[in-house]
Amino acid sequence: MADEGIASRYQVLEELGRGSFGVVYKGIDKATGEVVAVKHIDLESSEDDIQEIQQEISVLSTCASSYVTQYKASFLRGHKLWIVMEYLGGGSCLDLLKSGVFNEVHIAIICRELLLGLEYLHSEGKIHRDIKAANVLLSDTGKVKLADFGVAAQLTYMKSQRNTFVGTPFWMAPEVIQQAGYDFKADIWSLGITAIELALGEPPHASLHPMKVLFHIPKNPPPRLEGKFSKEFKDFVSQCLVKDADFRPTAKELLKHRFIRSAGKVEALQELIQRKRMADARADHMKHPVYYQETLHTISPKDEADEWVFETVKSIVPRKGTVRSRKPSSVYAVEDAMHKLDLKDAPLQPSTPGTARKTTVRRQPSSASRRTSRQNSVPRRESNGSPRQSLAPKRPLQPDMSFGNSGSTMRLFRRVPSDSSNPGGLGSSPPEFANENYPPPAYHAPAEPNSKEAMLGRRLYNKALEPCLDELHAQTAASSKREALAKLSDAFAFLDAVDPEGAYHLLRNLVSTISQDTKLSNTFLPQHSSNTSSKSASDGAPPPQGTVLHKSRAPNYSTPGPGPAAVPPSTPPTKLVFSHDNPHLLSHRRRRGSMLPQPTSADHHGSPRSSSPEKDREQPFRDNRDRDREREKEREKEKMAALEAKFPGRPAVPGMEHCKALSDLLYARWTDGLRARWGVLAGA
Amino acid sequence: MSFFFGRTRTRTNTIDLAKQARDHVTKLEGPQGAAKAEELAKVLSQMKQVLQGTHEAEPNPEQIAQLVTGMIEEDLLYLLAVNLYRLPFESRKDTQVIFSYVFRFRPPTGPQRPEPFALAYVVERRPQVLVELCRGYDHKESATPAGTVLREVLKNEAAAAIILYDDGEEPGSSARGVGGINPDRPQSGRGVFWNFFDWIDKSSFEVSADAFTTFRELITKHKELVPRYLAVNFDLFFERYNTVLVQSNSYVTKRQSIKLLGEILLDRANYNIMTAYVDRGEHLKICMNLLRDDRKMVQYEGFHVFKVFVANPHKSVPVQKILIMNRDKLLHFLSHFLEDRTEDEQFIDEREFLIKQIRNMPPAPVPPQR
Repeated sequence: MADEGIASRYQVLEELGRGSFGVVYKGIDKATGEVVAVKHIDLESSEDDIQEIQQEISVLSTCASSYVTQYKASFLRGHKLWIVMEYLGGGSCLDLLKSGVFNEVHIAIICRELLLGLEYLHSEGKIHRDIKAANVLLSDTGKVKLADFGVAAQLTYMKSQRNTFVGTPFWMAPEVIQQAGYDFKADIWSLGITAIELALGEPPHASLHPMKVLFHIPKNPPPRLEGKFSKEFKDFVSQCLVKDADFRPTAKELLKHRFIRSAGKVEALQELIQRKRMADARADHMKHPVYYQETLHTISPKDEADEWVFETVKSIVPRKGTVRSRKPSSVYAVEDAMHKLDLKDAPLQPSTPGTARKTTVRRQPSSASRRTSRQNSVPRRESNGSPRQSLAPKRPLQPDMSFGNSGSTMRLFRRVPSDSSNPGGLGSSPPEFANENYPPPAYHAPAEPNSKEAMLGRRLYNKALEPCLDELHAQTAASSKREALAKLSDAFAFLDAVDPEGAYHLLRNLVSTISQDTKLSNTFLPQHSSNTSSKSASDGAPPPQGTVLHKSRAPNYSTPGPGPAAVPPSTPPTKLVFSHDNPHLLSHRRRRGSMLPQPTSADHHGSPRSSSPEKDREQPFRDNRDRDREREKEREKEKMAALEAKFPGRPAVPGMEHCKALSDLLYARWTDGLRARWGVLAGA
Repeated sequence: MSFFFGRTRTRTNTIDLAKQARDHVTKLEGPQGAAKAEELAKVLSQMKQVLQGTHEAEPNPEQIAQLVTGMIEEDLLYLLAVNLYRLPFESRKDTQVIFSYVFRFRPPTGPQRPEPFALAYVVERRPQVLVELCRGYDHKESATPAGTVLREVLKNEAAAAIILYDDGEEPGSSARGVGGINPDRPQSGRGVFWNFFDWIDKSSFEVSADAFTTFRELITKHKELVPRYLAVNFDLFFERYNTVLVQSNSYVTKRQSIKLLGEILLDRANYNIMTAYVDRGEHLKICMNLLRDDRKMVQYEGFHVFKVFVANPHKSVPVQKILIMNRDKLLHFLSHFLEDRTEDEQFIDEREFLIKQIRNMPPAPVPPQR
């Protein structure tokens, strides 16, 4: 396909934000060196007609105006659609509002530029239908551009009207709500509302429920701009907000308004951008750019046994194994494991709290509800079953470049309008998960792990908790269950961000409590006496085994299904971690050893399981608490080891060589991909 | 009197526009191509204003009538369609608007015909205009404007017939107008309609997507014309459809064409086409392989075609054979098929229904009774 060639023209860099239905990355056009914004739309996760996206592209591609974000190209890469757009470094007006409302001077400039943009669009027979601060982007130099044409309409005939109910409630003109036929003037109303939004920080009626607003706008007199503003500004707003569209001025007429004529140069808007950057710097945001990662779906293993039988001859051949229906899941498991090998994911490095990102696109309903600790206080739209919802903007960590509106846009009623885009923003805080034993840490500063427990806690999260939750999530079908799991996962992510030590203690206490109860401990912390591979576990106290949380399966066999277990139970992959001659393990131990002040375990003993009882005998005076802690550490290690056993580059378990070959292949492809992508940067 | 003169002047200007445009457009290839393109752009923008009016002034029907007549006399519609991709960015958009207005224009006086004036002319006398508009898909520049015009024009059944039955100089081709069409003669597969398969499969995303939208319009809109066409050209059409579109390497083309196939088969108007389609074992094989695609949405769209085969009460022997041969696999496969679609009740019901159907099939194929 010709499209593949175009894709390689662009080097995709870090994530900029999440738009209405896609992730936006910063990118570089390799041929020209130009910085661009690349929007990735995962078409697999969208059941909407692809035509809707085509419509947006066709509107954008027929625009040629310096007041409209410039469309450059679009092409397919597998099931992802890439849309390449002009890069606008200033962010959206909604983002800029987060560091305070705008003054009149700035608003006048923005309104003039927007009117020029609308004049252009309207003369082209286009209605934007979703004008609001979130859809107004600024370039680094202060140029103002209209963005997000997701619901824009192209009229073939100048005089024709539209009835479609689209837009965002707070900004919607009365005639759009009443669906009595509307035209270009609808954008003028939204512009008036946007002007108020810029001046006050939120649109009128922001406190109301969006559905209620829909009744409010047509019924009541138009909103007015109140407060210490100039007569001109107030008049401008009231002109935009004439309820009868016939008496509402056109963009061209409004350009002659005194408020607009006296507006200054766009360069003045750089102040807003500066202010936002200062505010961001003060807030001490932990900036962990998330880089684009290519997924590896293309290499799903084809199982011959699964093929349909079309030839009569073949049908006699007995099929070994089971018919497994859902191959993809096994691939994802591998892929998930791959993600753990991220470059920046060096051991014990503090990680970004978010977990969902790399897989969000797959997790449909629940991911919408995933919130990060730093997100706006306003409850964002909740999952309503609309697939695009799952790509809801997640974290305004960086200048949110989303073409999309962080506010919800009505797409033919398919989205739930529950966003009042309150830019004042950080008023109410998200739920705190602080353990009462620990003082709640500073809200914005993610804790650096400086104690041993904290380091372990962080490792516990990175290596065990998160992968487990991920896997469990991937295996769960029911959306309500997935939702709940996602929430739990978020909660852990949050805990890890602010208090990794808490995570450590939580699990430690949990395990020790479980071990007190015979029934529970038998279930969750099974004795290894039955297991031939385990040599220890014969000292009185039940040494809890940490295999509970993670099902130790090789990635390729993680397919759930009623078929016979693919992994022989006698040789669990966990075992290979303890083999003495495993070079990977050795280096791993060394690494771990250097981080742990007490060189207790695996460094000297063949199996960490056996070390614990020995220690106990040597130091009988130790109190229980210390022993527990000791054991806990062993368990952590075991869990990690179990997990790491899944990583590529390990010797295969007998009978599993083909899996190893596969995982090595995947790993090689992955590193090749990385090298290709990072070669340029590394050289620079 | 000055009022009178003013009117006359605009009138001559309007008549002149078509002539001027023709002069410029025929010299686009020449040495002064760039200059001509600029002049042409001005003329086209003027023409657009005459047809469309402005925000301030309503269009004048009399002027429009003159312009349309002039354009027909100068064969400007054809020339613009052929040269669309050569025009500058803004002129391509202007041309699109001009076409839309011209094809919609009905003279304010005189006998009213069911078809707009210019469209009737094109359909009867100059079908090459429509064919050339389709060829707009040969170029990235002209795909969107040509496609937009086409989709509007194709709402007209005669215009759709022109595209479907274009077959060069073959007897019964639409090349001599809609009256010359012989719908019973099988197509050679070299007409402009058959180019759509390649435009959809081989073009860049933007072109491909636009071409597909037009193709869909063409195939789904006319409930008498198309079923008849498909019946006569059944093998040719579905052979291309299945090999080029359904097996396309492009995710979008593949997914959309499976979906469209489902729509075609489930359209009441296409009943005979559907029964013929689901009788073929080959078609079932393609479809069953779609169920095993790596991509869920492809599986999902494939399911909606597969269900037609299974739900058919008069399954042919080859179809029964394949289903029976794979019965156990299918039953197992379907019971886990797209399990995470827990909220799609219709899908779940249909899946259950298919499982029941397959389970209850006889142990050996039984010749269907109709």
